[in-house]
Amino acid sequence: MSTTVKVQPDLKFVKELQAVGGDSLKKCYQCATCSVVCPLSPSDSPYPRKEMVWAQWGLKDRLVNDIDIWLCHNCGTCSTLCPRGAKPGDLLAALRNMAYRNLAPLPIIGKLMSSSAGLLPLAAVPALIYGIIWIIMAGKLGSFLPTFEWDEAAHGWKAVSDGMVVFGGLFPGDYTIDPIFILVFLFMLWGFFAGVRNMLKAFEAQPKTFIVGRKKEPCFIACLIDTFKYEILQHTQFNECNDEESDELDQKRAGGHKMLMYAFICLMVVTGVVASGHWGGWFLTAIGIESLGHIVSAIGHTPMPLYHPIKLLAFVGAGLGVYGLIALTKRRVNLDQEKQSSSWYDWYLLTLIWTIFLTGLGAFVFRILGVALLAYPLYYVHLIGVFMLLAYLPWSKLGHLVYRTVALSYAKKIGRIPMGDAK
Amino acid sequence: MSNNSILVVGGGFAGITAALEAAEVGYEVYIVETNPYLGGRVAQLNQYFPKLCPPSCGLEIQFQRIKNNPKVKVITMADVKSLSGTAGNYNVTIAQRPRFVNEKCTACGKCEAATSTKVTSEFDFGTGKRGLAYKTHPFMFPMRYVVDAGNASEGELNAIKNACPYDAVDLDDKGKTFDLAVGAIVVATGWKPYDAAKLTNLGGGKLKNVITNMQFERYCAPNGPTGGKIMRPSDGAEPKKIAFVQCAGSRDQNHLNYCSYICCMASLKHVRYTRERSDAAVTVYYIDLRTPGRYAKFKDATEADPKLSLVKGKVAAIVEDAQGNPVVTVENALTGIKTDEKFDMVVLATGMEPSCAGLPGAAGATDADGFVIDGEGIFAAGCAKQPLDVMKTAQSGTAAAMKAIQTVVGR
Repeated sequence: MSTTVKVQPDLKFVKELQAVGGDSLKKCYQCATCSVVCPLSPSDSPYPRKEMVWAQWGLKDRLVNDIDIWLCHNCGTCSTLCPRGAKPGDLLAALRNMAYRNLAPLPIIGKLMSSSAGLLPLAAVPALIYGIIWIIMAGKLGSFLPTFEWDEAAHGWKAVSDGMVVFGGLFPGDYTIDPIFILVFLFMLWGFFAGVRNMLKAFEAQPKTFIVGRKKEPCFIACLIDTFKYEILQHTQFNECNDEESDELDQKRAGGHKMLMYAFICLMVVTGVVASGHWGGWFLTAIGIESLGHIVSAIGHTPMPLYHPIKLLAFVGAGLGVYGLIALTKRRVNLDQEKQSSSWYDWYLLTLIWTIFLTGLGAFVFRILGVALLAYPLYYVHLIGVFMLLAYLPWSKLGHLVYRTVALSYAKKIGRIPMGDAK
Repeated sequence: MSNNSILVVGGGFAGITAALEAAEVGYEVYIVETNPYLGGRVAQLNQYFPKLCPPSCGLEIQFQRIKNNPKVKVITMADVKSLSGTAGNYNVTIAQRPRFVNEKCTACGKCEAATSTKVTSEFDFGTGKRGLAYKTHPFMFPMRYVVDAGNASEGELNAIKNACPYDAVDLDDKGKTFDLAVGAIVVATGWKPYDAAKLTNLGGGKLKNVITNMQFERYCAPNGPTGGKIMRPSDGAEPKKIAFVQCAGSRDQNHLNYCSYICCMASLKHVRYTRERSDAAVTVYYIDLRTPGRYAKFKDATEADPKLSLVKGKVAAIVEDAQGNPVVTVENALTGIKTDEKFDMVVLATGMEPSCAGLPGAAGATDADGFVIDGEGIFAAGCAKQPLDVMKTAQSGTAAAMKAIQTVVGR
């Protein structure tokens, strides 16, 4: 007797999927055009046709544990050539959005991050924290827009009228910036740790593929390094996403994304140098190695002169970032809505990064010009933006920087995609 | 007082049927046909459904009926230019292009032999050649040659004229424009194969050994360019492995947003043609194999062929290897495996596009896809109305004739 497999459709899940961007999935008639035209899809169980039928049938288990949603880089060729306008590309994007919502712990954040309704409460957390700090400091300094001069004797900033705009004077780094952001950072790491653990558990629950003629399975660390080397630093997978029919905006997408990623790396280095200079110098001085401590402190001392190499690196980062943002925004604005749509997750992230870059640049410019009335509020918004980017990272689209990296590495380990040098 | 005449635009199977049905109960009918012959797409087939008859079979009976009925007036090489009036009282302007051959022609063929220049044959969809003076096919009706003055030099035209022993070539023919007063109009303008150049992911009509289903009909037809032998366009070799790609343009909102109804059956028929002529292995790639009604029997019988494989999955990419062999990429939706497979020849089952799609001046309103919608005194028949097979085309021709008669009678 043959065993009967009974399909248990999860209708609620189908509706959820339709709500988060897979609204046209029911139009699919399984012609498999999408799987063929996808430049990345492997030949064995290619995506996204199978995801379309799983979604129509409401096979939630298959979909939420599917590694293939992370192999897709959303070039949209499948949706462009889809004869039914079923938008398979949008379905995979919707599935990734569901992963951002459900992988990491604290489902309340996932829920708030999933629609515009959650924006206000999420922004309120940093807005209140830094609003209260601003009010307290204003009371202490006697002004909401204080200016400062360096007090050599006290080795600190002293509020004077007609002084300089100094963000560290209003929001002292040692007490109001660094401790809060260290906590935010740890919170983010915890979110990712739990998210990645859930993700790997899901992948491991999937049936294994036996690959004929494959040598020993590579270890996960080797796969991770390989992913960094190829897919991340060189954007190999992303570049392959373009075919001869891609238009100019599509081709600029991979480049724009790469530039934006390099911008973040530059700014990460800048932050790292400043933080380790400041706290490293303090630490060295504290344990008695004063001469070295002073040198290390000096490297990370802010505000930096404009010719300081680290400051120059920050400018490079800002320039790359704005270039990347323009390329990515231009493409998204010009997407043919009939073929490919943008979700709240897409616009939230783009807008947030734009906000951070523009307020960061604005705060810098008006600080140099000494316009306190604009410099401090912009810096305040900048702090809120950075807080939101970091604290909610595992629940946002930017979470792909961890989830996609892990998924691609895992896919290499199980042989779903080849190692970078075997392509 | 309403006019009792009926105009039938298009002399294919639907138009001929509508015209004869109306004429044989006593109404005066004009058939205006853009080609030099009647019979439309059916005339270009090797065999047609439901019984796989050669087209001459059904058509010659109809031509007999037209010849014997003085109520039917056939106007070939003519198009409707403009239309005015209302149901019961239309005035239609017809423009007829010059044929340069008059009724004295006996189709002896001496004019064709007079020049050596050959041009691409429209009748063969570009697969064959024809002379400057030509008849499209052996059972052409009206059986009268056509002179292609646009492609001929003055010397060649004179040679053609001088070759005719019956004084049938009239180089002074200017064509003419005239008005017809009719009470009702049957639009039977039919269909054209969807332009393969628009299917860019399937080679866009540029790959030599990727042809359309109508071209395949011409290769298989005894009056076709190869005398009924299937051969690759690139080197004339007999293909050993042929792929049929269904829904090439049909059921696709980027191309034809509807099912063309007959292509699945046509491809299964092509499988039979192939197996009658050679030992080639055949694969049909489909989304859903649609064989409505009694055609299911035909599918079952064809499917039993061990050299035929049916694969569920739409071909979405075709490229050419160095030897000119087409390589198709398809995901078998039942096994979930995506493969590249090499063939000697690929036949695209291109769909039916209404002939009038995108053309101005057609009589009657059209829907978003270009199919003609019935009006008060204007009735669509055949594939101008919707994609149909020959049998249903004939039925719709009869139905349109009935409606046209009701209009001219006024009840």
